[in-house]
Amino acid sequence: MLIERLILVAMWLFGFVGLILFIPRKERRKGFLSLLMFQTFVWLCDMFAFQYNLMSAPVREFPKATDLPLTIDYFFYPVLFSIFYINKKVNRSLSSKITYFCVWISGVSIFDNVIERYTDLLKYKISPWYGMWIYIGFLFFVSQFCCNWFYKDRSLFQVERLETK
Amino acid sequence: MNMEWWILFSVYVVATGILFFIPKKKRRLAVVAFLFKQIITFFWGLVAVELGLLEYPIRLFASINRTSFTYEFYAFPVICAAFNVWYPNGRSPLFQWGYYVGYTTVLTIVEVIIEKYTLLINYIHWEWYITWITVCLSFFIARKFCVWFFAKVSV
Repeated sequence: MLIERLILVAMWLFGFVGLILFIPRKERRKGFLSLLMFQTFVWLCDMFAFQYNLMSAPVREFPKATDLPLTIDYFFYPVLFSIFYINKKVNRSLSSKITYFCVWISGVSIFDNVIERYTDLLKYKISPWYGMWIYIGFLFFVSQFCCNWFYKDRSLFQVERLETK
Repeated sequence: MNMEWWILFSVYVVATGILFFIPKKKRRLAVVAFLFKQIITFFWGLVAVELGLLEYPIRLFASINRTSFTYEFYAFPVICAAFNVWYPNGRSPLFQWGYYVGYTTVLTIVEVIIEKYTLLINYIHWEWYITWITVCLSFFIARKFCVWFFAKVSV
């Protein structure tokens, strides 16, 4: 129990440090948007995943209110996605983009697997080892797609800028 | 029992209907308002249920989640998107203040009626004015965020 708590605290700590270190000041808005975008998808998809017993989170922050892991879904993985999205090089070849994507997905899946194996923060039920890789890849891909859509058209952005002034 | 599910169903229909009225040019503003609202509702919704202030006897994803998924994930964020998309910019402060009061009051009244006549929500240690204050505050914070977000565009 103690080790799980410490890991959760560490996730918040490293999450904030990561945001400060890896999101440049002028990209803060983009960082925020990508974080929010990932959060909504991971929350929605995990609702189904937990409902259908593909995963569970025995040790969690709000045991009475929800079976979902708050720190991971609400903060830590969204932060990781945000760092991934902001530090993505736009003008690279397709193969280096795919490599970047796969390295990130693999990194997050390995982290997820380690958490699953050695702590009670996450427990997979029926997914095979590559199931998580596909799941995280799917979440990253969908979020990235939506963020790209959001930043696609600069002229539309200006309209909204005037509207909120 | 059946009535509650009909209400949930119609909430999804109405909320989705509202999305169709959002002008194409303001979709991004709606997205930011929608997503940011979730960051508030997810967390504080969980806190309220965890502390036993409220309960939602009939809800979606009932076995794994004791908060109201429908309200916190979809309905309230959609209303927040509408709030920001049709925000009366450039009107007098009194009018803007009335805009806040109008949205907040309507939402509170609807919630009180639903609380009273259905099993969708139950107040345990909660009062209607706590709803009013928190809803108004969350609109305010979300509005400030949207204004900040689109203040300097760095794309």
